[in-house]
Amino acid sequence: MSYHFTPNMIPLALAALISGALGLYTWQHRRAIGAIPFVVMMLLVFEWEISYILHLAGNDFATKLFWDKVMFFGVVATPLAWLTFALEYTGRKTWLNARRLVMLSIIPVTTLLIIRTNESHQLFWTQSTLSSEGGFSLLNNINGSWFWVHAWYSYILIMVGLVLVVRALLRWPAQYRGQMIWVLLATLTPFIANILTVFHIIPILIDLTPFAFTVTGIGMAFALFRYRLLDIAPIARDIVIDGMKDGMIILDAERRIVDVNRTAQEMIALTGEQQPIGKQLADILSGWPGLIDRYRNLMEAEDEISLNVGEAPRWYALTLSTLLDENKLVIGRVLIIRDITDRKQAERQLQESEARFRQIVENASDLIYRVDRLGRITYANPSVVRVLGYDDEKEILGRDYLNFVLPELRHKVKRVYERQLLRKTPTTYYEVPVMAAAGHEIWLGQNVQLIYEGDQIEGFQAVARDITAIKQAHDALRIARDQALEASLAKTRLLSKVSHELRSPLGGIVGYAELLQRDAFGQLNEKQYKATSEIIESADYLANMVNELLDEAQLRSSNATLQEKMFSPRQLVQLATSGMDILAQKKGLSFSSSIDPRLPEAILGDDRRLRQIIINLLGNAIKFTKEGSVSLEVTCPEDDCWAIQVTDTGIGISKEAQSYIFEPFRQLQSAVTYDNRGVGLGLSITKQLVELMNGKIVVESETGRGSTFTVLLPLRTTG
Amino acid sequence: MTKPFVFVVEDDPKLREIMSITLEADFELETCADGNTALERLRNIAPEIVILDLNLPGVSGKDLLTYVRAQDRLAKTRVILTTADDRQAETLNNDADIVLLKPVSPMQLRELTLRLGSMQ
Repeated sequence: MSYHFTPNMIPLALAALISGALGLYTWQHRRAIGAIPFVVMMLLVFEWEISYILHLAGNDFATKLFWDKVMFFGVVATPLAWLTFALEYTGRKTWLNARRLVMLSIIPVTTLLIIRTNESHQLFWTQSTLSSEGGFSLLNNINGSWFWVHAWYSYILIMVGLVLVVRALLRWPAQYRGQMIWVLLATLTPFIANILTVFHIIPILIDLTPFAFTVTGIGMAFALFRYRLLDIAPIARDIVIDGMKDGMIILDAERRIVDVNRTAQEMIALTGEQQPIGKQLADILSGWPGLIDRYRNLMEAEDEISLNVGEAPRWYALTLSTLLDENKLVIGRVLIIRDITDRKQAERQLQESEARFRQIVENASDLIYRVDRLGRITYANPSVVRVLGYDDEKEILGRDYLNFVLPELRHKVKRVYERQLLRKTPTTYYEVPVMAAAGHEIWLGQNVQLIYEGDQIEGFQAVARDITAIKQAHDALRIARDQALEASLAKTRLLSKVSHELRSPLGGIVGYAELLQRDAFGQLNEKQYKATSEIIESADYLANMVNELLDEAQLRSSNATLQEKMFSPRQLVQLATSGMDILAQKKGLSFSSSIDPRLPEAILGDDRRLRQIIINLLGNAIKFTKEGSVSLEVTCPEDDCWAIQVTDTGIGISKEAQSYIFEPFRQLQSAVTYDNRGVGLGLSITKQLVELMNGKIVVESETGRGSTFTVLLPLRTTG
Repeated sequence: MTKPFVFVVEDDPKLREIMSITLEADFELETCADGNTALERLRNIAPEIVILDLNLPGVSGKDLLTYVRAQDRLAKTRVILTTADDRQAETLNNDADIVLLKPVSPMQLRELTLRLGSMQ
């Protein structure tokens, strides 16, 4: 093989270099969309041109034929690379899967195989002769039938790629127009050049196609780096607009639809129109009659419309903008349609819920009102108007809430709510006297809450109730209670006075009667003796009654408080029994008392009341016992309690009677005899006193066998 | 054996009479009807037992009791207090030897007085 290089090969070499450089340069930016197929295409063009140079430089037929065949690798593969680039660049990369690539490669691969074996079948070239023309030594091929298969296939691939790119270019906005021209030029050039060469339209000896692909490379690269052709922007724009949730319809000056995005397409499809492009908007949107007319003279407009499609009406927000050219002439309009059905629904629900709550508040019998930070009433429900006796809420709104408070208490009420504001107490309850329109006083019991707007306190909200009647009832009750207390005190005083006044003359009666009986004024006959006994007995009865009534009155008037102090239980027994033994003796009964030595010398308690208890129990025992004995035992059964036990051999108390003998004015019916009448208060008083001391009283008895009353008391030796 | 000296202070003449009759057989007795006179008398006499009505015109029974308790000369004197007011009786319970709530039974009074007298 020998070669002869001539200067007229320099343009081809230059083109090859440019193609190779573009390929390498783009490789560095291979992450851009379409960059990889672009690089492949440029390398194929490079191979094509280099092979072509070597083909031209070859001195003999065999060399030329060899490089011709090598060159056809680039020739056959370049259109496929171009299509791949066009597919990827226009966002159809996923369409070109491995299977489709193989299918597309069947004809080019077959072509290469046929070229390789052309000598045996001459399907590609029927004849190859060497000729010398214009300084070039050329291989003159006469094309065979497969050549045309290859040629048309290549044109189809180039055409498809061209259409894809041009279609994408047409969708680009005006600002990409410069880029578009460059890309168009770049894509059209090899096509034109090839047609010129293959069909010998102009008398040029060498193939212009590789030059043209170099031009394509330059054009694309220029677009790429000058206009950032491979930039994401155009694709992104398509994706964004098509991916928009809002529908977008672009109208020309005649209000024909020139573009719709996917969302708008779907919305329009709901009306039954599938192919809206080129149609009048008014025809498509017959559901919105006059919509565009309404905005004919407006540059910008917004509106909300509802459209009955399917079951539920849907709501749309429309934004209409006018597109102007540099001369401010209308060239079209953009209609953005947003589906606001959900928002509308939420708004309606909010309105309904607001209406519901408003109804509750407006119909509430409680007074509900709001006050802003400055104390002005901003809301008052009908109950406020009604209770305060106004005709209209206008008479209340905007006024300072303190205006409604009783003047003498304004200062105090103000302080209460200022404090709530300062301390940020969430809720307070306060009773406020307010003045009705007619001037009378109304008491409101109100719960007041702070209203927040974010972190900021906006004011107060109050829920109040008219408590005037309750207040009055309370006052009446208080007065009644005071009166009752006073009456009770007066009663006690009266009883005390009466009993005192009764006791003194009783002293005279008892004294003289006893003296008479003891023959102090001369010997009495039997009838006289009996009569004096009657007097004494009646006087005793009266004296007892006075004592018991007085005790009962004192306990009832809840004046009964214990006066506790340290006292000697031994002395208590001594004092309580003094006199009792005499009474027992008078009835012919034996009397004994004992005290447990374990009991401390001094214990804590109300010794006066204790003595009263012992005297009551002993008095009863003596009264209800005709013969036998009465005894008092003071014991200390446990460390923390002590007991007073009074035992008699009297008539006893039945089980049934034991249940009620501690009630006031209850006495054993059978026990009330001529000899032992009583007022019936003694045990009731005793029980009350014992319970006052946190003790308890129990009775053990059997009818006819006597009774034992036991008082159990807590034992305390220190205050 | 001399009878114990009992000094009775009681403004009610009927009760005074009853007490006199009750006690005269067993005791040497002096009676007095008002507080002032009683106080005068107590400066000069030293009875074994004083029976005092609490409610007296002039110097009250309570003041007389205080006076008796304050005199060393009357250290051995026993006091029986009689009253119709049980609450007052309570407050003086610890000062008096015996407090008797009216009406007082002559028989009981005699028994108690005898008992106090025998303790001398």
